Amino acid sequence: MSIFEYNGSAVVAMVGKNCFAIASDRRLGVQLQTVATDFQRVFKIHGKLYIGLSGLASDAQTLYQRLVFKHKLYQLREERDMKPETFASLVSSMLYEKRFGPYFCQPIIAGLGQDDEPFICTMDCIGAKELAKDFVVSGTASESLYGACESMYKPNMEPEELFETISQALLSSVDRDCLSGWGGYVLIVTATEVQERVLKGRMD
Amino acid sequence: MGDSQYSFSLTTFSPSGKLVQIEHALTAVGSGQTSLGIKAANGVVIATEKKLPSILVDETSVQKIQSLTPNIGVVYSGMGPDFRVLVRKSRKQAQQYYRLYKETIPVTQLVRETAAVMQEFTQSGGVRPFGVSLLIAGYDDNGPQLYQVDPSGSYFSWKASAMGKNVSNAKTFLEKRYTEDMELDDAIHTAILTLKEGYEGQISANNIEIGVIRADREFKVLTPAEIKDFLEEVE
Amino acid sequence: MAGSMELPTKGGFSFDLCRRNAMLEKTGHKMPGFRKTGTTIVGLVFTDGVVLGADTRATEGPIVADKNCEKIHFMAPNIYCCGAGTAADTEAVTDMVSSQLQLHRYATSRESRVVTALTLLKTHLFNYQGHVSAALVLGGVDVTGPHLHTVYPHGSTDTLPFATMGSGSLAAMSVFELKYREGLTREEGIALVAEAIRAGIFNDLGSGSNVDVCVITKGNTEYLRNHELPNPRTFVSSKGYSFNKGHTEVLSTKITQLKLKPEVADGDAMEE
Repeated sequence: MSIFEYNGSAVVAMVGKNCFAIASDRRLGVQLQTVATDFQRVFKIHGKLYIGLSGLASDAQTLYQRLVFKHKLYQLREERDMKPETFASLVSSMLYEKRFGPYFCQPIIAGLGQDDEPFICTMDCIGAKELAKDFVVSGTASESLYGACESMYKPNMEPEELFETISQALLSSVDRDCLSGWGGYVLIVTATEVQERVLKGRMD
Repeated sequence: MGDSQYSFSLTTFSPSGKLVQIEHALTAVGSGQTSLGIKAANGVVIATEKKLPSILVDETSVQKIQSLTPNIGVVYSGMGPDFRVLVRKSRKQAQQYYRLYKETIPVTQLVRETAAVMQEFTQSGGVRPFGVSLLIAGYDDNGPQLYQVDPSGSYFSWKASAMGKNVSNAKTFLEKRYTEDMELDDAIHTAILTLKEGYEGQISANNIEIGVIRADREFKVLTPAEIKDFLEEVE
Repeated sequence: MAGSMELPTKGGFSFDLCRRNAMLEKTGHKMPGFRKTGTTIVGLVFTDGVVLGADTRATEGPIVADKNCEKIHFMAPNIYCCGAGTAADTEAVTDMVSSQLQLHRYATSRESRVVTALTLLKTHLFNYQGHVSAALVLGGVDVTGPHLHTVYPHGSTDTLPFATMGSGSLAAMSVFELKYREGLTREEGIALVAEAIRAGIFNDLGSGSNVDVCVITKGNTEYLRNHELPNPRTFVSSKGYSFNKGHTEVLSTKITQLKLKPEVADGDAMEE
């Protein structure tokens, strides 16, 4: 079993019209045993910037703490919030620094940049960035997420439709993955507000 | 640093609470060649006189205005060799910032980092303060900016400033000429006139240097031919 | 971590987690694979310059991770570099050398030379004994003319009139071996490079999607991103899926209003 599959996870982000969505499952397991069903994998960096961390839960939390630390220092130093592109480069550098002893995390970064332009990106656990205009996926359910998103995604969705689409993509994908599921957590971010929703999912 | 034979700082407080080494460094700056900078509405100009010790020196080999990044330039008054050290460190700092964030360093950040180096050299063992003051001109998302950094490591943002041999005269001159809505070409003329005021001898395209940055965010050191055009406009 | 307080990074690698990861591996957890650019990259020299080419597929095992990634990296205004191998390594090594070249240009006030880039790349790769797995095709035009090199992950290099690298290198090389000749024109060069990349795209499973081309001549560089798009999407429905509002079962909702423009008080200038 790969170390990525130890806890199980599914994270996905999608771009809509002047908005974006980032979603994850809520399961924390130890191999095939479920330990918690309210586990957080999507974290806030600032109001318009979020990171989802799939992979080994302990590394996800450690990495998140280090990122918050670095972002807070940046805010104090530069008196501004980080742009999503800048933040993605920071995460990439931090991961590549551990090229020969990596964190077992595959991050997804989603945010609104200058002029509230949506930005999403993912990278592997050593920081190889992949920018996308439509959607990005990661975690043990990534293969089914690729399929679901590839068919369900449409460009320029309004926030309401984006929510339904990302939720359906997430729920149908985790149903084909033993290691993730047990509900979903979805964030829809527009220039003016953040909608945070907890989804009902299968409990098996 | 810190592992040399003289691992204590040479810059220590006098009983009256002054750091005499820093004051000496400022004296070195004050006796250096005049440099000045003006922040206009649509850009920044920095300029300096380039007096060479002998007419036998090849003036094309001396470059007193340097760029630190594509959108930030710097000029100094004081000791040339110290300036080169700072330029090298600042350029490296700018590259490190770029490699971390994939974004060009903001002017304020580069100024702060450069000032931090200068401060470190007032408190570290086995070193002396830098014998230079810098004028850093840049243009970024926060618009045109002009900063001065002193040997103590303190830094200020200016609308227009001067340093070196003729500071007080030059500053008085700039105070009279400066207006908030000045255009860059006006500022270049003012910079030339200010240099001319304090110059011992006749200024020419070869014995002054001018660096400009406009809204295109490309810092350019003017060629002698370009300076000559501006000189003719002033006359 | 070394101390409780984290210090700013000075550059270089950190080996903090190596022991833990080795321990995990010993307990039977497989180490993950990295994103690769299972790739076709090529380059050739023509009469007055160099043409570089690449496909745009990034893979993770058998999965296509990115259908349109960029494999031709900027090194200097007159030098570009195609990368194959582990994506993070090719990206990091080219970025690092490009930064070193920029500093070198500032120090010397001269255009970078291709051999300088080549030497910086190979010394880094040799130092890491092949563990930094970047296989590169480096091309550019400098004061001494057009140059094309290949760099292997262990740090060895070749100087060639035409070169291919990556998993699709054999397919691409078959095209070059058949059709390359001295004295190609610019248009012939671009066409040949595109054909070689297409050979990789269609005959190597690790390569796919589009053709990127970069043409470097004396004093001019042209980056033709997605020069050819031989694999358009065929399967997408014109209507797409649509879901009615309220289709998904929601347990709880929380809505937070974002402040439109956060007021930032002007920082006071530092006192002397």
